[in-house]
Amino acid sequence: MEDKVVHGQPDLLTDFDRQRVAADDLRTEELLINMGPQHPSTHGVLRLMLRTDGELVLEAIPHIGYLHRCAEKIGENVTPVQFVPYTDRLDYLAGMNNNHGYSLAIEKLCGLEVPERARYIRVLMCELNRIASHLVSFGCYGLDMGAFTPFLYAFREREYILDLFEATCGQRLTYNYLSIGGVTQDLPGGFADKLAHFLDYFEPKIDEYNNLLSYNYIFVKRTAGVGVVSAADALAYGLTGPCLRASGVKWDLRRCVPYEIYDRFEFDIPIGIAGGAIGVPREVVVGDSWSRYFVRMQEMKQSVRILRQALQQLPAGEFRAKVPAALKVPAGEVYLEVEGARGQLGYLIVGDGKKTPRRVKIRGPSFCNLSIATHVCRRVLIADVAAILGSIDVVMGEVDR
Amino acid sequence: MTGEAIAFYLLAAVVTAFALGCVLASNIVRMALCLLGTLGGVALLYFLMAANFLGAIQLIVYAGGTLIVIVFGVMLTSRAYGTKLRVRPLEMIGAAVVTLALLAGLTAILVRTAGPVVSPSTPDFGVAQIGTELLSTYLVPFEVISVLLLAVMIGAAYLVQPEKK
Amino acid sequence: MANFTVEDALRSRWSASAKPRAVRTFAVLGIVLAVAALGLGYLASSAPGAGYWLAVLGTALAGVAAMTCLGAAFVIQFSRLVGTWLFRLAFLIFVGGLVGIALLAWVPALLYEQVDAAVADHYGAGATGVLTVADLEAVGWALPTDSIEVRRQGAVGWAPPTDSIDGRGKAVVGSAHPTASFLAYALWPLQFRLTRDILALVGVVGFVSLLAMFTIWWERKVAGRMQSRLGPMRVGGWHGWAQSMADGIKLLQKEDIYLEGADRPLFKLAPYIAFMPALALFLALPFSAAWICRDLDIGLLFILALAGIGVLGVIVAGWASNNKWSLLGAMREACQMISYEIPLGFALLVPVMTTGTLRLTAIGELQAGGFHTWLAFQSPFTLAAAVLFFTATLAACKRAPFDLPEAESELVAGVYTEYSGFRWSLFFFAEYAEMFAVGALAAILFFGAWYSPLPANWGAAWLHGPLWQRALYGILFNGPLWLIFKGFFFLFVQIWLRWTLPRIRLDQVMYACVQVMLPLSMLVLLGATFWALLVPHGSMLAVVANLACTALGVGAVLAIIGIVFYGYSNRRQLVGTLAIEHWPGS
Repeated sequence: MEDKVVHGQPDLLTDFDRQRVAADDLRTEELLINMGPQHPSTHGVLRLMLRTDGELVLEAIPHIGYLHRCAEKIGENVTPVQFVPYTDRLDYLAGMNNNHGYSLAIEKLCGLEVPERARYIRVLMCELNRIASHLVSFGCYGLDMGAFTPFLYAFREREYILDLFEATCGQRLTYNYLSIGGVTQDLPGGFADKLAHFLDYFEPKIDEYNNLLSYNYIFVKRTAGVGVVSAADALAYGLTGPCLRASGVKWDLRRCVPYEIYDRFEFDIPIGIAGGAIGVPREVVVGDSWSRYFVRMQEMKQSVRILRQALQQLPAGEFRAKVPAALKVPAGEVYLEVEGARGQLGYLIVGDGKKTPRRVKIRGPSFCNLSIATHVCRRVLIADVAAILGSIDVVMGEVDR
Repeated sequence: MTGEAIAFYLLAAVVTAFALGCVLASNIVRMALCLLGTLGGVALLYFLMAANFLGAIQLIVYAGGTLIVIVFGVMLTSRAYGTKLRVRPLEMIGAAVVTLALLAGLTAILVRTAGPVVSPSTPDFGVAQIGTELLSTYLVPFEVISVLLLAVMIGAAYLVQPEKK
Repeated sequence: MANFTVEDALRSRWSASAKPRAVRTFAVLGIVLAVAALGLGYLASSAPGAGYWLAVLGTALAGVAAMTCLGAAFVIQFSRLVGTWLFRLAFLIFVGGLVGIALLAWVPALLYEQVDAAVADHYGAGATGVLTVADLEAVGWALPTDSIEVRRQGAVGWAPPTDSIDGRGKAVVGSAHPTASFLAYALWPLQFRLTRDILALVGVVGFVSLLAMFTIWWERKVAGRMQSRLGPMRVGGWHGWAQSMADGIKLLQKEDIYLEGADRPLFKLAPYIAFMPALALFLALPFSAAWICRDLDIGLLFILALAGIGVLGVIVAGWASNNKWSLLGAMREACQMISYEIPLGFALLVPVMTTGTLRLTAIGELQAGGFHTWLAFQSPFTLAAAVLFFTATLAACKRAPFDLPEAESELVAGVYTEYSGFRWSLFFFAEYAEMFAVGALAAILFFGAWYSPLPANWGAAWLHGPLWQRALYGILFNGPLWLIFKGFFFLFVQIWLRWTLPRIRLDQVMYACVQVMLPLSMLVLLGATFWALLVPHGSMLAVVANLACTALGVGAVLAIIGIVFYGYSNRRQLVGTLAIEHWPGS
């Protein structure tokens, strides 16, 4: 039983194994295939070395570092305010969340107090960006499974969010908006209306997409029971975010270790549920690719809930604290984690009283999440590698930093 | 010389060329393709002689068969090490004996066949007639072949079944 | 090349000396060829035996070449003008082209019938012979003809106007309609097999090329609409109708890349192995009972055989590319094809068994009596066979959800990874040609072939009327237009499925074939056998089954339309845009 869970695909695996034993004298050659760094379903510049027996992947070894840009080293040479734009480029699909974590860490180290309005704006932006990021994940996952159309739908909705971002800070991908002490500028007039308009439009769309892709028979067959990660494995490999929650661990920093003002909102933490429950196909196993994918779909709904509440409570006031022009990073050390779109995004900052920090270390959730790939991509088909990688949803900018 | 004769000799030349290629090629996929060329040429000869059914069946059966040969060729040979098929002298002698015997037999039949062979210009031997003949005159051989194929299928299914633990 | 248009191609700049030189060369060449064509034509009118055929062939070739050269000279000389007018008339050309293609499918059938009827009349029904131009001239434009059906029964219902006939029944030259002379010359070559074959070959090649170009454009438009975007909009003016043409020009210009380690001869040969069978199977594909290149008694088997050979091209391409992704794609294609040929074959046996023939025209002609006589609606088993056939052809054409050989998210581009330019486009020509071919085959075998849903005998009176009535009969009741329409319908379903469904995994593809479709198709075959044996035609059960299946089929179509309209009327859109420049006060 233990054996089956680890390998992911009970039926397929044993059949293949037995056939290999039976056809010992017909043994075929093992192939060594490079999947990436230029490959449609490695989501950027990940390179996987696949050792395969025909279509059966025996081992998948990730090779990373193709997008390494010395982000952490740069952090030691520029002031915190100057470093904020660099954080945008870590997980470039959720730049707001990256800004947020870094700003929070610096504020904690420097003892800055952020105005109430700025905190709400930050939550608004982070949750919007979480939706945008999950939309990309949803669309690309459909693409990995060979369904092209959901991808365009996802990007259509994401476009509206990017429009809102553009109206707010003038940028569509790398925002540099949540900055030290608050946000760089106030929300534009009419933002609340536009956002409410968007939310009313978007929320029912999630159900539509569930009907289109999540419950599609072929899609379920492709993803359910594929790449199963047990809760123990997930914790041991340091998985966080949707990947961890899909394995049945109810752990969300926004709720469990509340930061910013997340304790003021009501929302659920979706986790992976075994098949047969309402709204979960029969084939689903806790911790499989479908669960990881579906946790994201549900999280979008929760984000919509948070956004509505935040919009309701949004106070007037300052949007930025008074930050000294020559902000000095005091001597000391702070480590702070926020719940990014892909998991726990951690910043370790060591200051020694100069304008620039002495050390910046970033814990990218994608990096830890990717580490499970080798463990899971064992004795699966090549098509499953795409399914597993897509469900882990790595962003290479964050892995390589 | 009629157009039909020209077409026949042309096709015969092509078939022979492909057959030579099939024997002489050292690469298994090329060999399989040459085999397909030979068999396809023969199918075209059938078409030329207005034996449409035979030609089409030849194409269907041997296109699939060549496919399997290629699959095995790809699976069982390694391109990486560039293994080439080599023939040992003993094998060559054996092959020569068999070929010569076959050639002699065919020539004997050819010589014995009296008169010029007239190719039917109109197909009066349609599919329906073939079906009727197979299920009446040639019923026993037909059934024997069916049983043989069934046995082959069962054997194959037995060979590939997973080992019981 | 981002904004490359046909206009650009036509308006391309020529150096000062190159343009007149090119024009001069083409013009001189064209005139020489035209003179040659005229000379050969003169020879053809008098030469005996084999020399006659050579002269006819030479005339045709030289004429086409002459026209091409003169046309090229004209286009180069007036390139700016031609480009401008092409752009202005883009919409007209596009629509006219489509109508023209549709008409082209019908006109030869009509003309052949005309000539056949004249021959039959002159020499008696069933006899063969060659008419002279003079004979045809006498027959003229006002030729009242009979349908093929009538002539097949041996009844010749046409008597020429008595005043222009001499004692032996031969027509007197000069008393016919003024336009007759010209038309007689035009019709005269059509009575020869060779001319018809050449026309058919040209027609097939032209049809397949246009078909592939149109379908690629169409698929992109459909995909765009399904994905809330527009698809190609730029090239050619109206809805990007010339996109495929521009892409084709682009592909032709590309470098022909092959890899260092590739098996070069096979790599170069593979696209042709894939393309030629796809083209050749159109030779046995009837567009109507009258318009078919070769009406083989084993037409169905022939098409199956050629489809099987085309697969080899794909596999050889995958192997010769010396790329592991290509190789995996080739192996996928091989196992998919080998497996799905079996349920495909079983599904095909059902109509063959029901009709008792492998001749496609015969199968088609049995379904002439309106949509309730279509083969799919005859019994539950034929309906099931139709569904099985369509599913299996999806796998055979490697269309989604069975598009594993080129699965772009798994195998980069599968077997096509290393191909570029012209060779790459050949594969796609083959793919789209095959898609249409299987759609047309589904129509012929199961869905009334070239007959409209209306019973063909409703318009029987028009068959004996003047030309326009017969043309209208061809449009309304029976003709190649309907087959093309049905083929495109199935093509549309394939496109629709491709842009909706995710891809199946390899083991699931094999499972679906061996464990589901194979037993199911065997069951259907068995059921159809016993149905044919036990349920006599016209019995109560047969009628009830016919009605039920017809209702089911029609109901399914209506349900699909209903769902589409429901979804469309309940679509939700974000009203307006959220972009900042549209905000109030900005």
